[in-house]
Amino acid sequence: MSAAAASVRLSACDCLTPLGDAAATHAALLRGERALAPHPVLGGAGGDAVPLALLPGRALDETTPPAWLPAVQRLLGAVADRPWGSPRFPVCVSSSNFGVGSLYAFRHTGGPDFVAHGTPHASVATIARACGWGDNLAVFSHACVSAHLALLHASRLVTAGAAQEALVFSYDFLSPFVAGGFHALKILNAQLPAPYMAREAGSIGLGDGAAFAVVTRATGDLALRAQSLHNEMHHVTANQADGAGFAAVLAPVAAATRGARMWLKGHGTGTLEAGRLEAEAMARAFPGAPLTGWKGSLGHTLGSCGLVELALAARALRTGRAPGTVGTASPTFTDTVATAPFATTGCDGVVCTSNAFGGAHAALLLAHA
Amino acid sequence: MLERAITSVRTIDPGSEEPPATRARLKDAFPAGAARRMTQLGMLVGAALDAVGPQPGDAIVYASRFGEGRALETFLESFPTPSPTLFQTSIHPSGVQQGLIARQRATTEVFPIAGSPAMVAQALLAALLTPTPRAIFCGGEERGTWLTAHGAASERTFAFALVLSSAGGVADGCGRLALEPGDVQGELTLESWFDLLHSRRPFAGAIAPGWRLTLHWS
Repeated sequence: MSAAAASVRLSACDCLTPLGDAAATHAALLRGERALAPHPVLGGAGGDAVPLALLPGRALDETTPPAWLPAVQRLLGAVADRPWGSPRFPVCVSSSNFGVGSLYAFRHTGGPDFVAHGTPHASVATIARACGWGDNLAVFSHACVSAHLALLHASRLVTAGAAQEALVFSYDFLSPFVAGGFHALKILNAQLPAPYMAREAGSIGLGDGAAFAVVTRATGDLALRAQSLHNEMHHVTANQADGAGFAAVLAPVAAATRGARMWLKGHGTGTLEAGRLEAEAMARAFPGAPLTGWKGSLGHTLGSCGLVELALAARALRTGRAPGTVGTASPTFTDTVATAPFATTGCDGVVCTSNAFGGAHAALLLAHA
Repeated sequence: MLERAITSVRTIDPGSEEPPATRARLKDAFPAGAARRMTQLGMLVGAALDAVGPQPGDAIVYASRFGEGRALETFLESFPTPSPTLFQTSIHPSGVQQGLIARQRATTEVFPIAGSPAMVAQALLAALLTPTPRAIFCGGEERGTWLTAHGAASERTFAFALVLSSAGGVADGCGRLALEPGDVQGELTLESWFDLLHSRRPFAGAIAPGWRLTLHWS
């Protein structure tokens, strides 16, 4: 089991998606809106049309400075004023792709300014300068479970007294590099995703996303009561066929929820095999608990998805209503998949999960403090 | 103060060795067929990990500022028909996953850390704060080609792995490290950290704002 040493609180949490902040995105998901729309997979260079969800007005092609930077600054402008990046107030940053789209742009245009944002450290430094952060930055990159690692590390820093508060920030913005890569894997195709739906062919969509959370010991109305990790190391892109990896990451969280009423926010990208394994493992670990996922609308926001969807789950807990699995209809892999919005008022908390390349799994339990 | 014993350590400095030479040298260390698809960094980190003897239940903290520089370069060159294999291997933390997947070595906690000025300090913090009795801190870089000229890939190739244990004695050639907060300023790069390990040099000083490292060798 991998869990934070003690429960920590979230004193703030919000996200940025193509549908807006957490409040606007939550409301749009309740209405069943999809941010995904067809775009050429290589942006200005063309290619097949694939479902992408881009920030309003942003093209897939990279710019310098990055076109998403002002939106990130606005998002982080809501964070309480602290000496972020100082020893007692570290920032835990996570992403899967950072500014790698800038390296694609550099390779294809020769524009030297793109390199300044291309590496993980350069991309994070760009954001840190824009936000006035100090150098105490922990930067995590573990594909689509990246945000969970940053949250767990921040929780441990705060719990151990190594930090007074920790800011967790996660971001991933699409580029031809990323879209082209997933298209090459043949899971990003012309179809819109339908997470957890039993259909002939699977598909995913990709989306822009960023989010933050402030982790504290005692301030905030929501608590992270358990966090769990597991890495199958079975195959780069496939899971163990018996679903053992999903079961392993859920077991510690299920133990922490014994006797409580949960709802579940799964990873649910729209791929068939992983979706089936995940839905079945969730149903076994949390019998009867409704399962939802939002990548059918927002697309997969990659390294940021764990934090983006945590902000939306927090909104659902506070408002008493969770969006259903947008884009999905019967038949579903299990009868617990929620295809319509549902009330969360009778639940004690939500279990949120993410999965990644390499059979990496992460899960957390968010509950009212 | 956070403190652990270093109970095993392995460093690999292949100098200017090119990836094909590394592959030829290390291919027998991995299951048949695996080395063909592995990057230079993947093979070196995998070999360093093997040498320190990972155990079930170990937490793994992996640090690389640039990651798979060569795979990234070749993937970028593969457009407009991008290679799915290179896409997978160019993504952080492929360098540590390749060896673990080749060995089918399931692991509970893997904390891959990318570049920042406080990279070594944060990696050590991640390792020292894990609740497991043992944490393995590993990492490295692989020298790039055209991206290196633009500061977007490493100039050096190296790999390391060390076991940090909360209990037990210290074997010959190993030591102890401690991380303590303080009103200090400093920075320790991953390359400098590797050099400390490789030469078994002691160290006492600031490695990030607010964090001081003490490293002793027996």
